[in-house]
Amino acid sequence: MSTPLSGLRHAALMALLALPAAAHHSVAGQFDVTRTVKFAGTVSRVDWINPHTYIYVDVTDAEGKVTVWKLESLPVAMMRKAGLSRQDIQGDGKRVEVVANPARNGTAGLGYIVNLRYADGRNFQFGRDPSDKSAATE
Amino acid sequence: MKSKIVLSGVLSLCMAMLSWAAAPVSTPRMANGHPDLSGIWENGGGIDFLKPQKLANGSVCIAGCAGADPASAPGAVRPGLPPDRPRYKPQFQARVAELAAKQVQFDPVLRCRPPGLPRIGPPDKIVQSNREVVFLYEDVSGPFFRVVPLDPKATRNDDSETWLGNALGRWEGDTLVVDSRNFNDESWLTDDGAIHSKQLQVTERLRRVGDVIEYQATVVDPVMLAEPWVLRPRRLTRTDIEFGEPAPCIEQDLQHMVDDTHHTNPR
Repeated sequence: MSTPLSGLRHAALMALLALPAAAHHSVAGQFDVTRTVKFAGTVSRVDWINPHTYIYVDVTDAEGKVTVWKLESLPVAMMRKAGLSRQDIQGDGKRVEVVANPARNGTAGLGYIVNLRYADGRNFQFGRDPSDKSAATE
Repeated sequence: MKSKIVLSGVLSLCMAMLSWAAAPVSTPRMANGHPDLSGIWENGGGIDFLKPQKLANGSVCIAGCAGADPASAPGAVRPGLPPDRPRYKPQFQARVAELAAKQVQFDPVLRCRPPGLPRIGPPDKIVQSNREVVFLYEDVSGPFFRVVPLDPKATRNDDSETWLGNALGRWEGDTLVVDSRNFNDESWLTDDGAIHSKQLQVTERLRRVGDVIEYQATVVDPVMLAEPWVLRPRRLTRTDIEFGEPAPCIEQDLQHMVDDTHHTNPR
């Protein structure tokens, strides 16, 4: 049930996500943090590198055509602090549901990870999904 | 009388336990009597703000977690101490401001170049012998090391300009003082366009007390800085967690940048 206060919280969240410029991570310089795309696939490759790790997800459509999404994420040190390893992200080739911010320059198949949910129930949240209305009802 | 004896015994036991619990960790020393700085040292790495939550079923929430402080998100604007920045002579201030505004176009670290000193921060691991101290770093730009000879007659086979300086160490009591010179002018002192000249000099002080190192750096650049820049002290705590192979730095982001949004590089 929404309340006036939850509406204020939602507005504050949207303001935070939309904040540009100084002292912010350059994610906002590459990706639209006010929007998300959602899809499912399997992790085909993990680049455990700096300054950002990259995760490649193969998405197969109804006709069997495969699109590879290239997804940017946190530096290795932040992943390790979260207790996540390359193997954790690889997911053993099982299905993973992805929520990502799309690229601002319109590059297809490029995004910044907001959330990964694996078939075994593990969920790795890297940010708040701006389209997640449940945040407004907390 | 018996109750007084029992109470006295209990109080004595409590005092002994408190005394044991409060006993400070002794500072290990080398055979020559100097403190041994060897160890793996946590300094927060600039990411102390990150507060991941371990959840059920192996799930993890890193940012945007229910009930979490928004300031704990990567890249969030965090309140707190004002930025620790050097003060430039007037003739260099406009150039520094321009580079800060266009950081993503010019910052060498965003191109996987070495961060320079003191931007690299305190060492992550120290290996000490009687003749030298070696600082090792696991940095976003890659793995780095610095050899700090303790003999002023030590020579190098290459004294050309360097990213991290040529260091020489000496003891002042229980404090290791490291003087570094011979820098190139390609690195920045901070994330905000803080350029420097080849006349840069950096002095670091490390003092171990128990399992804590107090670290402090001072920067002098007679060409560009209006005054010595005395950086805020850092506190390093010892850990037994060895760091693994440092991840390589392979830049892939800049081609997708659409504006000059700043990139923070906490260390």
